[in-house]
Amino acid sequence: MSMEILSLEHITRIEGHLNFTVTIENGIVRARAEALEGTRLLERVFIGREYWEIPDIASRMCGVCQAIHRLTAVQAIENAFDILLPEELERLRRLVAVGGHLQSHIVHLFIFVLPDYMESNSILEIASRNRRLIRNALRMKKIANSITEMIGGRAVHPLTPVVGGLSKLPTRRVLELALDLAKEFMRLAKETLRPILSLELPEFERKTNYLSLYNGKEYPLLRGSIRIFGKEEFKPEDYEKYIEPITEDYSTARHYVLRSSGKDYAVGALSRVNINHSLLSDSAMEVIKEFSLKYPSYSPFENNKAQAVEIIHFAEDMVNTLEDLIHRPPRFEKIDFKVKEGEGVAATEAPRGLLIHHYKINKEGIIERANIITPTAQNYKSMEADAVAYTTKLLSEGTDNIKRELERLIRAYDPCVSCSARFLREHAPILR
Amino acid sequence: MGEEKVRVGIYSLSSCEGCLVQLLNLEDIILEIFENINVVSCRLLGVEGVKKADVAIIEGAVMSKEEEERLKEIRVNSEILVAFGDCACHGGRFIVKDFGLEEADVKVPRIGKYIAYPLDKFVKVDYYVYGCPVDKEEVLSLFKDIILGKEHRPKPYNVCAECILRENLCLLDFGIPCVGPITRGGCGAVCPSSGRECIGCRGLAEDANISSLIRTMKERGIKIPEYLQILQERV
Repeated sequence: MSMEILSLEHITRIEGHLNFTVTIENGIVRARAEALEGTRLLERVFIGREYWEIPDIASRMCGVCQAIHRLTAVQAIENAFDILLPEELERLRRLVAVGGHLQSHIVHLFIFVLPDYMESNSILEIASRNRRLIRNALRMKKIANSITEMIGGRAVHPLTPVVGGLSKLPTRRVLELALDLAKEFMRLAKETLRPILSLELPEFERKTNYLSLYNGKEYPLLRGSIRIFGKEEFKPEDYEKYIEPITEDYSTARHYVLRSSGKDYAVGALSRVNINHSLLSDSAMEVIKEFSLKYPSYSPFENNKAQAVEIIHFAEDMVNTLEDLIHRPPRFEKIDFKVKEGEGVAATEAPRGLLIHHYKINKEGIIERANIITPTAQNYKSMEADAVAYTTKLLSEGTDNIKRELERLIRAYDPCVSCSARFLREHAPILR
Repeated sequence: MGEEKVRVGIYSLSSCEGCLVQLLNLEDIILEIFENINVVSCRLLGVEGVKKADVAIIEGAVMSKEEEERLKEIRVNSEILVAFGDCACHGGRFIVKDFGLEEADVKVPRIGKYIAYPLDKFVKVDYYVYGCPVDKEEVLSLFKDIILGKEHRPKPYNVCAECILRENLCLLDFGIPCVGPITRGGCGAVCPSSGRECIGCRGLAEDANISSLIRTMKERGIKIPEYLQILQERV
């Protein structure tokens, strides 16, 4: 038997490309996520810089999920300084993250995923057939960005979240405007998401380990311990005991596995919903029922629908939080703190999953060590294992378009950075 | 519409892609923009590769030999070349990786020891759209100019001009090291309006008086940022 290589090239990430190669040799399938990653370089850039510079630089790691990078960096530094934020300030910041999540999920689902399933090349083709749908999706995206902007100062690379609080508070008038927009978002969400929620997804399941934050009180975003689905739970600062970075000689990005078993794991919307579905809002629960979604789900493709469920959940969350803040506005924007020597870890949920920032700061407030674990890096091993299992399944069924299916699979993971959306169109040689 | 639409290529080099996200953030009018131009290359829309174009919009800094080659190829194939965002105009935040790379213990094949460079180190740039990220309103005006065949010009004033229009209190009065007075405007003074100092992402204003700003800061007892001192030495 000959060897066959399926190579999916140019999955673009933060600063580099991810090439995905699947080899089939005598019926044995192997998969490699070959990444060239710039993250560690950025971590070096942090060293020797003052603590307050970090959130601004960290946010530039990615133009799509910048809000959460900024917030996570801020929180990690606050943890190093033992700063405890009043709840109102925390809720305001949370809104910045929620706006970011909604924006990211909408871009992924409508601009990147939907064209795949509607047999079209781009959102423009869909827009020419169903303008109302795309208009509504864009309207929702605009509202999500507006919320981030109203509280964060800017939609891309927000400005106000700083160590110790926010640099500026929104006025009551701004919060009221934001509330009107959030309500409009809620009205649009379910109908607009219908085509996503009713997608006919490929039939494929592979049970892996699912990791997400969990706090038992609310659907997690900025706070909580890290839970491994069906297994133990650990504190963010203990992450090194549970998550193990591994170096693959074919990839410059670190891959991650669970330290105890050496097994792959997945992070992202599906992991979050699998672990936290009982904490979802009422409207999200209704959607789960109406579209007969079942959680826990072991299909990586279900990540897309989990994102849609999260959009509904966060829309309701946004309305409730804003109503709450209008009645109980924060009284001051920042709390006083002392710069001191320390180490801080923050774990948050980025749109694509668990995100960890870790900084060691000296007594002058200078960064001595930095470590950042991004969601996509954690997903590589699971992506590879899924690709092997899915290809094996497709081969046994005699499917003739394995490449397209693999592309869909990887896209379902929502690898970071917008342009990964079209990574296969012209680069890959045609096989079969 | 019998007339030929203007051919636009949208390219991305090393960057966070936040500037492309800003283009997508023109939600109200993005469909109309794309319908009024002929997008010959744009990964977001599934058209890859360097193509013959009337206008090339390039986001990101040049951080590898391959990117340098690609940039030159784009230049040859485009009538007008637009540096889109701070990375393309000045090298962006990634230029800080200039520091400490020598002792870097990591292998970074794609980047190596190649630091971040702005586009105009290698090719002629016709239009600059400044900012990290680019301002949405400026992106819109860029596309209007492209569609109408007009020249795109940067704003002739500094950040303070727009800051005053927004009725912000001057951050220098509060002891915050804002470099708005010497920075090119056009961003709507977005940072000072959020209570954050301008860090000069849009580059020096044409008539920037650096030593005057340093004097003002000293008078007010503000610690002079390191980059301002470096700037004074270089300009």
